Amino acid sequence: MPKILRILLWITISLLGAFALATIALHRGEQINALWLVVAAVATYAVGYRFYSAFISAKVLGLDPNRATPAERFDNGRDFVPTNKWVVFGHHFAAIAGPGPLVGPVLAAQFGYLPGTLWIISGAVLGGCVQDFVILLFSVRRDGKSLTEMAKSEIGRVGGIVAYIAVLSIIVILLGATALIVVNALKSSPWGTFTIAMTMPIAVLMGVYLRRIRPGKVLETSLLGFVLVVAAIFGGQWVSQTPSWAAIFTLTAPTLAILIIIYGFAASTLPVWLLLAPRDYLSTFVKLGTISLLALGIVALRPSLHMPPLTRFADGSGPVFAGTIFPFAFITIACGAISGFHSLISSGTTPKLIRRETETRFVGYGGMLAESMVAIMAMIAASVLQPGIYFAVNSPAGIVGQAPEAAAATISAWGFPVTAAQMAALAHAVGEQTLFNRTGGAPAFAVGMAQIFSNSLGGQAVMALWYHFAIMFEALFILTIIDAGTRVGRFMLQDALGHIWKPLGRTSWYPSILFTSAVIVAAWGNFLWQGIKDPLGGINSLWPLFGICNQLLATVALCVATTIIVKMACVKTGGSSADGAAMAPTQMGRIRYVLITLIPLCWLVAVTFTASWHKVLDSNPRVGFLAHANQLAKAGANPRLIFNDRLDAAVTALLVVMVAMILIESALECTRIISGTKLAQTKETPYVMTRLAIEEHS
Amino acid sequence: MSGLCGADTPVREKRKARLADGKARSIAAAITHVFRILGATLQEVFDESAYRRFLVRGNLRSSCRAYAMFLKENEQARSRRPRCC
Repeated sequence: MPKILRILLWITISLLGAFALATIALHRGEQINALWLVVAAVATYAVGYRFYSAFISAKVLGLDPNRATPAERFDNGRDFVPTNKWVVFGHHFAAIAGPGPLVGPVLAAQFGYLPGTLWIISGAVLGGCVQDFVILLFSVRRDGKSLTEMAKSEIGRVGGIVAYIAVLSIIVILLGATALIVVNALKSSPWGTFTIAMTMPIAVLMGVYLRRIRPGKVLETSLLGFVLVVAAIFGGQWVSQTPSWAAIFTLTAPTLAILIIIYGFAASTLPVWLLLAPRDYLSTFVKLGTISLLALGIVALRPSLHMPPLTRFADGSGPVFAGTIFPFAFITIACGAISGFHSLISSGTTPKLIRRETETRFVGYGGMLAESMVAIMAMIAASVLQPGIYFAVNSPAGIVGQAPEAAAATISAWGFPVTAAQMAALAHAVGEQTLFNRTGGAPAFAVGMAQIFSNSLGGQAVMALWYHFAIMFEALFILTIIDAGTRVGRFMLQDALGHIWKPLGRTSWYPSILFTSAVIVAAWGNFLWQGIKDPLGGINSLWPLFGICNQLLATVALCVATTIIVKMACVKTGGSSADGAAMAPTQMGRIRYVLITLIPLCWLVAVTFTASWHKVLDSNPRVGFLAHANQLAKAGANPRLIFNDRLDAAVTALLVVMVAMILIESALECTRIISGTKLAQTKETPYVMTRLAIEEHS
Repeated sequence: MSGLCGADTPVREKRKARLADGKARSIAAAITHVFRILGATLQEVFDESAYRRFLVRGNLRSSCRAYAMFLKENEQARSRRPRCC
C-alpha cells in the first residue's frame, strides 16, 4: 500500500476511535448502541498496537529477529518448541482468558458503563498489554524463567520471596472468590446445578475415552464432551420441571460450598488424566466457542445499552460493592485492563514456544488486546440490561431486603424502576425460581447474554436455554480454575515445604499430596465459607480483596520490568561504571524509556495502596474490614464473622507491606545503577544468532 | 453488451477469465491458509501436536500405551500450568 494511503488509513482509524470515545463519554440522557463501545475499543487497540507497541519494540526493548529464542536453542519437542506465532497467540489467549474479564466489568457496571469502559481500553493499551509484552520478552531472554525467578535474580532475594507469597495468596483468594461466584449462580437452581454436576461424569468419560478408546484425539473428544454438555443443559430443563428431581438438585449455598470444597480436594489428588485434563479441554473448547459467538452476536445484533454512562453510585454507596470509582473501579476490573496473573502465563509456557523474538509483540501485546475485547463484551452484556433488573440481580439481600416487593421498592427508589412481577416474569423466562440477590456477576452476565441472543436466535422461547448455557460456561470456567489452581498451589507449597522437610517436597509422595492439598483447599475454602456467611453477600469483600491481590502482583511484575529496563538503558550506552561515574546525557535520554512501565507502575501503586487503605481502615463498615468487624462486635454477632473481617484486613495489610518492600528494593537498585554506584548487569542469557533467519534466506 | 459494443474481444475475455480465476484461487488459498492456521492452533491448544511430537521423538505409533506414557511425561508440566482468572 502506498505510504500516503497508509497515513490516511491510520488518520481515519484514529479519528473514528476518537469520535466513538467522545460519543460514549459525552452522550447523556439517551441510549447508545453497543457498537460505539466496540468501535472505540477496536480503533484504540489498533492504534495502540500499530504505534505504541512498535515504539516499545524498537526503541525500548530493541527486539532482534536474529537472536535465537529458548524455543530454538533448547528445542526438545516437549517444553521448548518453536511454534508458529498464530498458534502461540491462540495458546496464550486460551491460557489468559478466564472468568475475570467477564465478571469484573459486570460488577463495575454499577458505576455506569463509562468508567469501566474507559479503564478497560486505556488500562489495556497503556498498562496490561505492556506488562504482558515486556514480561514475555524478558522471560524469552532468560531461557523462559518464571516471574519469581526473574524477581529474585534482577531485584534481589526479597523480590523473589515477595513474588512467591503474592502468587500463592492471589491463588488462594482467587479460588475463594470465584468459587463463591459459582455458589451464588447455582444456589436454588436445580437446572444449573444438574448441568454442572453432569460435567464431572462427562469429564471422567472423556478421560477414559481419550486414554482407552481414541488415544490422543483431544479435539474429537472435546467435541463429544461438548455435545454431552449441551444434552445436559436440555436434561437440566427436564430436571427443573420434575418436582422429585428438582428437589434433589435444589441446593443451598452452604451445601454447594461443601460440595465444591470436596471437588477441589478430589481434583487435586486424583490423576490428572482422569478429571483435570479432560475438564480443561472441555472448558477451553466451550470458552473459545462462546467468546466467538458472543462477539458475533454483539456485532450482528448491535444491542442498545440501557445502563446510563454514570450512575449515582459513583459516590461509593453502590449495592454491588461499596467504594468510590477511584480506586474501586480499577481493582474490580483487573483481567480486562491489567492483571498480574498474566505475568505468570507470560513467564510460564508461552516464552518456551516463541520462535522469533519479534513475535513477542504480537503474542504478548496482541493477546492482552484480545482479552480486553472480551471485557468490553462483558460490559456490553451487563449494560444491555435494564438498570433496575441489573441491580435486582446483583444486590445482596442485606442491602435491598429479602422480600421481592421490598427489594423492588428499594431499587426503584434509587431511580432504577423495577417491579417484583417484572423480575418474576424474567426468572420464569430463564427457568429460575428467582433472580433477586444473585450476586457475583455471573447470573447478571448470563441474563445479558441470553437477552442478546434470544433477540434473534430462537426468540424468548429459548431464553432459558441461553441463560443456562451461559451459566454452564461460566461455572465450567471457574471449576477448571479451581482444580488447576488447587494443584498449582499444592505444588508451590510442596516446593516450599521441601526446604523444611525433604519428603514433603516430593510431588509424587501421597501423604505429601494429601496434606498440601488439604492445606490449600482449607485456605480457599475458608474464604468461600466466609463469603457465603457474609451478610453483605461476600462479593463485597472478596472481589475487592482478589482485585487488590491481582493488581499487587501486577505491581511486582512492573517492578521487575522497570528494574530490567533501567539496567538495559545503562548497559546499552556503555554502562554505568562501578567507580561512581555519573551517566552521560545520552544515557539519561535512554532512561526516559523507563516511563513505559513506570507510569503504569505508579498508577497501580496509587490504586492498590489507596484501595488497601480503604479496605482496612475506612470508617464505613461497608468498605473497611475493621470498621465492619467493630460493628459486628457491637451488635454481638457471631465471633467467626468478626474474625473473618480481621483476617481479611490482616491479609490485605501483609500483602501491601510486602509489595512496599519489593518497591523499595527495586527503587534502591535502580538508584544505585543510575547514580553509577553499581554496575548495571542484566541476567540475560548470552546472545546466540538464530539459525531460523539463515534457513529462511537460503 | 460487451459483444454489441465490440469492446471485449475473445482474447480480453480470456484474460479477464484468467484474472478472475487467479483471484478466486488466491482467495481460496488464503481461506485454506486461515483454516490451516486455525487447525494448527486448536491442535496445539488441545495438546494433539504435543502428542504427535512425543510419538516422533520416541519413534512410537499411537496406542493406549503410548498415550499413557505421554500423559505421564506431561503430568508435572500440566499440573503446574496456571490457568488465569
